[in-house]
Amino acid sequence: MDLTPRTSGDASATAQTMKPRRRWLPMVIVAVAIVAGGVVVTRFLTSAIDYYCNVDEIGVRSGCDEGRRIRVQGVVVEGSLAKSDGATTFKLSFHDKTVAVRYEGDPGGVFQECIPVVAHGRLQGGLFASDRIEVKHSNEYVEKNDTRIEESDKEAAACSVQEG
Amino acid sequence: MPGTSTPTGTRATRMLGVVTLAFTVWLVVFGLVVSAEDVVQGSTVRMMYVHVPSIWVAYVAFALTAVVSAVYLSGKNRSLAWDRVAGASAEIGVLFVAISLITGSLWGRLTWGTYWVWDARLTSTAFLFITYIGYLAVRGLGGSFRQRARRSAVLALLAVLEIPLVHFSVVIWRSLHQESTVANSGTDVELDGLMLFTLFLGIVTFTMLFAWMVLHRQRALALQDAVDSHGLDLAIKQRQQEAEVR
Repeated sequence: MDLTPRTSGDASATAQTMKPRRRWLPMVIVAVAIVAGGVVVTRFLTSAIDYYCNVDEIGVRSGCDEGRRIRVQGVVVEGSLAKSDGATTFKLSFHDKTVAVRYEGDPGGVFQECIPVVAHGRLQGGLFASDRIEVKHSNEYVEKNDTRIEESDKEAAACSVQEG
Repeated sequence: MPGTSTPTGTRATRMLGVVTLAFTVWLVVFGLVVSAEDVVQGSTVRMMYVHVPSIWVAYVAFALTAVVSAVYLSGKNRSLAWDRVAGASAEIGVLFVAISLITGSLWGRLTWGTYWVWDARLTSTAFLFITYIGYLAVRGLGGSFRQRARRSAVLALLAVLEIPLVHFSVVIWRSLHQESTVANSGTDVELDGLMLFTLFLGIVTFTMLFAWMVLHRQRALALQDAVDSHGLDLAIKQRQQEAEVR
């Protein structure tokens, strides 16, 4: 017996209750999802080519060599931040090691002293020339109007929070 | 029956809806007005009260999808009600992952200085989102209700394995994304009092919202299945009548 749903003619009652489903659409979505998953993984692996190094690992850990494009993680040293001629310069430290960084432009976000950041670029002649800065916020959240901290001490408190 | 009004709500779901609405108002007041700004992020921290509860609900939704899928596969009578709960839960989970990705991207622009990085946490969350889009598409591939239930249940049990990968990605790989603040066994909670309370309020509110949505959606799916079955019944009846005439 042919049980294929009918959508016209004297099968109008059936047509009202069984809408013809577009089975190709889920197939297309599955195919797109598979391709998109592949693209996402590929992009992640491609970005991982740039080694993720802490400041104290530059020149020590394999892959964190001078002259090679890397990502450097550290905390912006208090009092080192300066902006001139459209460039931002600061020092980045981690585990008592420090590196000078120069970035052409304004990093944006909540970039400031005492905050952990990730700088993308190359170390050349003792200066890390960065073309991308990402601010790495810690998982600590402190209320701005916390009465336990005096107003004048807030900036210093934020610094200590970030450096942990 | 098609053509008649069949509500998906009950007295219990209506009560749950009212309580959820009250909690939502409470969350909005605390999230936007009562809770303080963060010393570094300022008002941007308020994104947390939507971002974190959204991904929490997504985890719960996908875990529920896996659990009821396992119940379906292991059960003797294999009730399709389990399959519909799995489908409803996954649909809502996808919605909340999308909310989490969007709010996270906006929050990232304001704090990190960029909307997106191919970082382990962000990448694994995007992959989770794509996986469950695929899961929902697989549910729509056709076949009988039981075929749909069986293939999607197997897929749900595989897909749920991505959740620990997403959650621990910030521990496994060096990441721009911060580690967990609350669900972090290694350290004390690092949120000031009212921020922590507001975050938990958000998690409770979003969880209730999820429960309300799943209850309604699985009933809507049951009605959809009933409509499809009704159409099939009509087709069989019609063919039988045609055979008798001949």
